[in-house]
Amino acid sequence: MTQPLLEVHELRTVFSTKEGVVRAVDGVSFELHAGETLGIVGESGCGKSVTALSIMRLQRPGRIVGGKVTFKGQDLTRLSEYEMREIRGKEIAMIFQDPMTSLNPVYRVGWQVAEPTQLHNGWDAKRALSGAVSMLGRVGIPGAAARARDYPHQFSGGMRQRAMIAMGLTTTPQVLIADEPTTALDVTIQAQILDLLRDVNREFGTATILITHNLGVVAGMCQRLIVMYAGKIVEAGPTTDVFANPKHPYTWSLLRSIPRLDAERHEPLKPIEGFPPSLVDLPQGCSFHPRCVFRLEKCSRDVPALLQVGETQRAACWVTQSGTELKGA
Amino acid sequence: MLAKYVARRFLASTVVVLGVTAITLALMKTTSGSYVPGIDLNPALRPEDIARLRAQLGLDEPPQVWYATWLWNALHGDFGHSMIDGSTVTSHILDRLPNTIELTATAIVIGVVLAIPLGVIGALRRGSKTDHSLTVVSVAGFAVPQFWMGLMLILIFSVTLEQHGLPWLPSSGAFSAYNGGDVFDRLEHLILPATVLSFFYTSTWSRFIRSSMLEVLSQDYIRTARAKGMSERRVVYLHGLRNALIPLITLIGLELPGLVSGGLVVEVVFGWPGIGKLAFERALQYDYTTVMGVTFFATLLVVAGNLLADLLYGVLDPRIRYG
Amino acid sequence: MIGPSRVAELDIPAAGVETGVARPAQSYWNESWERLRENRLGVAAGVLLVVLALIAVMAPILSAVLTHFQPQTIDLDSTFARPGVGGHILGADELGRDTLTRLIWGARVSLGVAFLTVAMSLTVGTAVGMVAGYYGGWIDDVLMRFVDMVLAIPAIFLFILMSILIRPNAITLAAIVASVGWGSVARLVRGEVLSVKQRDFILATRSIGAKDSRLMLRHLLPNVLPVLIVAASLGVGQIILVEAALDFLGLGIQPPTPSWGNMLTNAQSYFFRSGWLVALPGITIFLTVLASNLFGNAVRDAFDPRLKSH
Repeated sequence: MTQPLLEVHELRTVFSTKEGVVRAVDGVSFELHAGETLGIVGESGCGKSVTALSIMRLQRPGRIVGGKVTFKGQDLTRLSEYEMREIRGKEIAMIFQDPMTSLNPVYRVGWQVAEPTQLHNGWDAKRALSGAVSMLGRVGIPGAAARARDYPHQFSGGMRQRAMIAMGLTTTPQVLIADEPTTALDVTIQAQILDLLRDVNREFGTATILITHNLGVVAGMCQRLIVMYAGKIVEAGPTTDVFANPKHPYTWSLLRSIPRLDAERHEPLKPIEGFPPSLVDLPQGCSFHPRCVFRLEKCSRDVPALLQVGETQRAACWVTQSGTELKGA
Repeated sequence: MLAKYVARRFLASTVVVLGVTAITLALMKTTSGSYVPGIDLNPALRPEDIARLRAQLGLDEPPQVWYATWLWNALHGDFGHSMIDGSTVTSHILDRLPNTIELTATAIVIGVVLAIPLGVIGALRRGSKTDHSLTVVSVAGFAVPQFWMGLMLILIFSVTLEQHGLPWLPSSGAFSAYNGGDVFDRLEHLILPATVLSFFYTSTWSRFIRSSMLEVLSQDYIRTARAKGMSERRVVYLHGLRNALIPLITLIGLELPGLVSGGLVVEVVFGWPGIGKLAFERALQYDYTTVMGVTFFATLLVVAGNLLADLLYGVLDPRIRYG
Repeated sequence: MIGPSRVAELDIPAAGVETGVARPAQSYWNESWERLRENRLGVAAGVLLVVLALIAVMAPILSAVLTHFQPQTIDLDSTFARPGVGGHILGADELGRDTLTRLIWGARVSLGVAFLTVAMSLTVGTAVGMVAGYYGGWIDDVLMRFVDMVLAIPAIFLFILMSILIRPNAITLAAIVASVGWGSVARLVRGEVLSVKQRDFILATRSIGAKDSRLMLRHLLPNVLPVLIVAASLGVGQIILVEAALDFLGLGIQPPTPSWGNMLTNAQSYFFRSGWLVALPGITIFLTVLASNLFGNAVRDAFDPRLKSH
């Protein structure tokens, strides 16, 4: 087993709010190896975005209060801001959900895509710009040289997202974090962007973390995935294994709730009952237990740890850790 | 795209100007039967002068003819003649306009130069003591009567200082004849009135920049900029401020029309020989034609200023230019 | 933002929604009032304004009981008296008239004219704005073009012009100042009307055959009211300043009637005799306008928290 490129260990990030302390990331641990794609899946508010932001040390106004993020031998949580800036945008790049609001409206796209290489590689304006144009071409923007002179509002949604991806790749980072890259886009464009991310991963060998709430996206893209709920990881493993044989009731319910084309027409949808918990007021024991159809008495008392369940997967569940398979109507 | 936008705005402006002329002149007409009330009562005018003026101003002609004549003259830069001494309004304007521009332009520049850093500091140090103090000063600044502030500054920096034998600032005029009227002399005279005039601008605009900056700094593209690994200073000033300034340009643009008229009170208090003081002096002498001519001129500038501001905005915000 | 104020009229049973929340639902007005009351600074400013208004109203009584002077009584033995001298609590002016008394009576002018101006501006502006916004089309174009024209003329020049054409007393002065203010109000109201006009309850009311005027008065107006209230509260301070400036220039309320502005008309000649005489009227204006502005801000924050700039 090769050394992981990025290793997150027991990361904890909190936000102080009027209602109390929100434990947005509550003891999250995972590894990312060079060249692989990892998916982080969960509902809104489960902590997946904050985890990514914490890796980048962009979690303000939140605070990282525990754990380590090891990248190329350094603990990112301990670096000075100055040192962190050497890594941000250069070794680890991040792209965001809404490309319209994520690009600065008053500067030309080409200039914005060229900025990272000017900052980090020390390229002069001309070289940076030509690098930017070539990258824009590689992400599939036709007439890149002319388009580089345009402003963000002149681009369509899909093209903007491509431009953002280009912007992240110009410095050939080792890790690319994509936070809900397709959520704000049309369904048809979504597929194109995902194809692009896949190509990028293959061509450049960039390790990719794909954050999404959409299981379908993960299925096509990621070799491994992590499922998050209420700030914790509840299940982790290779995508095919998790989909075929989920080891956590949350994952299991999620997979069942997806409407399927091959289902009977009269079959009702099977949503997960209840609501996600308030992060200020988490239930005792396993955070998911109030909504879990498999719950035991133990689940409302003790918090399960993320342990090996089955050959390739890990799950934080008393039920499956005791050997029970998840089946049912 | 830009050309069409310009053309539309220009057309609208012309309509407004024409309308304004109609209003002003209608105003004069309706307040009394004759064009200028009291023209027959002004003791400084002899009967022959009155008759000459009436003929010259076309008072006894039907309103349309008279309006058309006036408009025709105005388009040629002739804004009328003074009722008191027959001098042309235009000559007065040419004489005084540079002084007014000197004063108000300086005030606006001071306002911008002070407001931007104050506003940015307030935004970056939001909630701190510095921020609160700045806000308090701003709020207080709105409530101070300009003419009174001028008087108090004169009292403190001119009168009191002189009384105590300290170097003092001049309190009236734009320059001293016996001092030679050089640049330093003019600057000396400019200090107090420009301070008073810029005070309001600084208060208003610094608060505005502050809220504009706060809003900009919470935008997604700022998060993107940080993720690209640049210094916080670059994030704030290169990516942030540029966006925050756009609405300020609109605000400044809104003040441009006031360039000529905004300083009137300050001009009167400081005896500054500008357009505003001209209008005021002549008003006291019931020189209606001059006041009207000056008013019309000022209105023209307002409309032109509005147009200019619209254009500036179009240039600065690419979304409008290419939208 | 604006609650359904007139739905009851159409006899639609209120559709209750189970919110499961402990706090009872309140009308927009109650909520705004609550928010206003919680703003301590705003409340303090409001109280100060009320006190000033009371002082203005009770001027004659205060003259008799508190200061023992009349505002126009000349006493050449007490010219430029310092505060405290000769029974003059705040001193006397160049004709020996008691400063405090004149300030008290001056409040009548400043607050009175301001109130009148606001009333006139709001009335005319609302009427024009409503008609323009409601009817749209050429009526809207014409009215708004007219507003553009009025707003294009620099206010101070217009004031000067009108002051020499019309002998200003309190009422005409208010009308002069209002002649510029109504334009902004009209634009504001028109904007609100345009947005409210789209809403369903207007369509519903129309479909049962309500007349235009009824629609405007009973349905549009209450929804436009909050914006008006905010605009009025924010504008009062400016109006007081403008009126004081006009008085100062000698184009407003004429002496011997005292007003805070005209007490400063001859200030340049007071410099060497009494600094108090220059400072006091200005401080009074400043405090009054400050209170108005703070109260206005509080009203705006209470009625439309979205506009709040933290």
